[in-house]
Amino acid sequence: MRIIILGALLATIASAFVLYSSNYDTRLLEEQVAKQERAIERARSDIAVLKAERAHLGRPARIEPLARALGLGPASERQLAPSVAAALDRASGSDTGSVPQNRGR
Amino acid sequence: MQTPQTNDEAAAAVAFDTAMMGRRASGPLRTLIATLAMGLAFVAVGAQLVRLAIRGQGGMSVSINETVAQSFARPDIVDRNGRLLATDVEAYSLFADPQRVIDRDEVIEKLSAVFTDIDRTTLRRDLSDRNRRFVWLRRGLSPRVAQQVHNLGLPGLDFRRELRRAYPAGNIAGHTIGYVNIDNKGVAGIERYVDEVVGVDAVHTATIADRPPVRLSIDVGVQHAVEAELADAIERYKAKGAAALVMDVNTGELLASASLPTVDPARPGTSLDTAFADKISSGTFELGSVFKTLTVAMALDQQLVTPDTVIDVGREMKTGRFTIKDVHSTGRPLSVAEIFLRSSNVGSAKLALQAGPKRQQEFLQHMSLLEGIKTEAGPVPPPQVPKRWGEVETVTVSYGHGIAMAPLQFAGAVATLINGGRKVVPTLVKRNPGADDAQTAPQQQLISPATSAAMRTLMRGNVSGPVGTGKRANVPGYDVGGKTGTAELPGPGGYREKAVISSFIGAFPMEAPQYVVFVLLFEPKGTAETGGEILASRNAAPTMARVVSRIGPLLGILPKQSASADHVPGSSGQGNGSLALRSRLAFDAATVAKYETR
Repeated sequence: MRIIILGALLATIASAFVLYSSNYDTRLLEEQVAKQERAIERARSDIAVLKAERAHLGRPARIEPLARALGLGPASERQLAPSVAAALDRASGSDTGSVPQNRGR
Repeated sequence: MQTPQTNDEAAAAVAFDTAMMGRRASGPLRTLIATLAMGLAFVAVGAQLVRLAIRGQGGMSVSINETVAQSFARPDIVDRNGRLLATDVEAYSLFADPQRVIDRDEVIEKLSAVFTDIDRTTLRRDLSDRNRRFVWLRRGLSPRVAQQVHNLGLPGLDFRRELRRAYPAGNIAGHTIGYVNIDNKGVAGIERYVDEVVGVDAVHTATIADRPPVRLSIDVGVQHAVEAELADAIERYKAKGAAALVMDVNTGELLASASLPTVDPARPGTSLDTAFADKISSGTFELGSVFKTLTVAMALDQQLVTPDTVIDVGREMKTGRFTIKDVHSTGRPLSVAEIFLRSSNVGSAKLALQAGPKRQQEFLQHMSLLEGIKTEAGPVPPPQVPKRWGEVETVTVSYGHGIAMAPLQFAGAVATLINGGRKVVPTLVKRNPGADDAQTAPQQQLISPATSAAMRTLMRGNVSGPVGTGKRANVPGYDVGGKTGTAELPGPGGYREKAVISSFIGAFPMEAPQYVVFVLLFEPKGTAETGGEILASRNAAPTMARVVSRIGPLLGILPKQSASADHVPGSSGQGNGSLALRSRLAFDAATVAKYETR
C-alpha cells in the first residue's frame, strides 16, 4: 500500500512538473505565435503601403508628362499594321505619320 | 494467579487489541479514500487540460466605459486590369486621456505648434472633462507628424493605429469611386457598394482586410485618356464643364466615366459643391438632337418608314403655340436617312407624330427610358418626363427637349440600338463571363436586328458622309459613327440660346460596334477654331474624334487598314483582311497596343 501511495505521490510531482513545463512551453509558443502574427501584420501593412506607393508613382497623371518629355505619345492607329511586311513597307515609305508625335502638352 | 493489576493489564491489553483491530480495519478504507481523492484530483486536472486543449483559454472580455472607435477594414478597389484605385493603409490617430493629462495649457500650446489649425477652445473643453478617459485629438496622421507629437513627450497623450483609405491614383474616376467617412465606412459611390454588397470587417486595430479586391469595369488608362481629352476640350472650347463615358455595347461595362471638374475621393468635401457633381449619372439633362437616334429607331422598328421614305420637311411646322424649324433647312423633302444626317427637327417631329404620343411613350418605356435605373455606385436620378404627353410633347421629345435624363441611361439605350437590339444594363463592376448569371443569361431583345443594322448604317453615314453633322468625329480606320446634339439649357422664362450642352453619342467600329462613347460639353463658347459657333458638330464631334483616336489603341482595336490608307497620305494601301486575319490582328492589337496588361 505504501508503495502505491509513494508511487502516486511521485506521479503527482512528476505530473506537476510536466504540467508546468507544458504550461511554460505553451506560453513560449503563444508568445512566438503572437510575435509571428505581429510580424505578418507589419508585413501586410508594409505591403499595402508599398502597393499604394507603386500605384501612386505609376498613376497616368504622373507618367504622361514624363512620357511626353521623352518624346513619346499615345499609341496611334497609324502605328498598327496588318502584317510585318506592311509595317516594313510603311516604314520604308515616305509616311512620317507613324512616328509618335509630341503634342507638347 | 491473576492480581487486580493483572486484570487491569488484561483489560488494557484487550482495549489495545481492540484499538489495533479498529486501526487495522480503518487503514484500507482511508487509503481507498485518499486514492479516490487523488484520482479525482487527477481526473479534474486531466479534464481541465482536455478542455483547454479543445476550447483554448476562451475569449477575453474587456469592459470599457469609454467608446472605443470602431473602424472598418475594406477590400481594395482595382480597375479591370488590376491597377490599384483604393486601398487601406495604416495611419496613426492621436487621443488623450484627460485624467492623465497633467498640464492642460502645456498640451494645448505644444499641440498648437504641430497642428496650426487646431481648435483650442474645443481642445481645452475636451481636456477639462476629467470624467472622460478617451478623447480623439487628430486622426489619420502620417508617421512623420505622429513622431513630432511623440517627441513632445506630453503625458496623457497616446496613439492608436488605424486604417485609413488611400487613393493612390489621385482624382481618376473620383466620382465613381465615391468616398468613405473618418471611420473608413463607405458613404458614396463604389465605396458604399463595397459596404453594402461586398462586405467590410469591423476592426479595432489596423488590421488589413483579407478579402479579394473589388474589380471595377473601369480601365484606368482609358479613364485617364478620356479625362485628359475632356480637360483639353474645356480649355479649347472655353466650356464650363465636360463629361464623357465609354461603354461596352454588349455587356454594359463602363470603361470610363469622367465628369469634369473632377473630385478627389480623399477630400469628400469637394464633391458636395454642385459644380463638381457627377454629370454622367447624378444629373438629368435635356440632351437635344442626340435623342433623334431614338426617334428614327422607333419609326424604323415600328415599320412606319424605311430609311428611304421621303418626308416633306421643306416648311416650318406649327404645333400648339410652337413653330418647329430647322437650323439649316434645304427647303425640300428629305428621306428618313437625310433627316437623320441633317438633324432635321421638322423631320423627327413628323416621324414622332406618325407614331403618336402613345406609341412614343410605349417605345421609350420599352427602352427603359421612363424610369430610374441603378448602378453599383447608387441610383441614377429618374428621367423627367412630360406630365401631360400630348402632341406638342411628342414633338419636343422627338428631338430631345421636354424630357431629361442622365447621360448614362441614354447611353445604355443607344448601346441597345446598335448592338443588334439586345438590352444593356450599365454596370461599373467587371463582368465575369461564365461565373456571372446575369452575363450568361440571354439578353432581352428590345428592337429588331434589322433596325439595329439600319441605325448602324445611319450613324456611320453621319460621320463618313459629306453632309453628316458628325463628320468631324471621323477617325481614319476606326469607323466611328454617331449623332450630334446641341441642346439649349433651360433658364428663367425659357431656353438660353447661348448656353448649350453640346454632345456627341457615337460608337466604333460601326461594322461591329464594341464601344459606345458619349461626349458632353457644358456651355462651350464660340472660338476661332469653331468659327464662333457653339454647335456640337464644331466642338463635341472633334472631341469625340480625339477621344476615339486615343482610346482605340488602348482598347486593342485594330484600325481598318484600307480606311487608314484612304485617309493617310503617303501610306501604302492595305486591303481588308479576311475574317481569320482580322481576328488574329485583333489579338495582336490586344497584346501589343495595350500598354498595361496586368
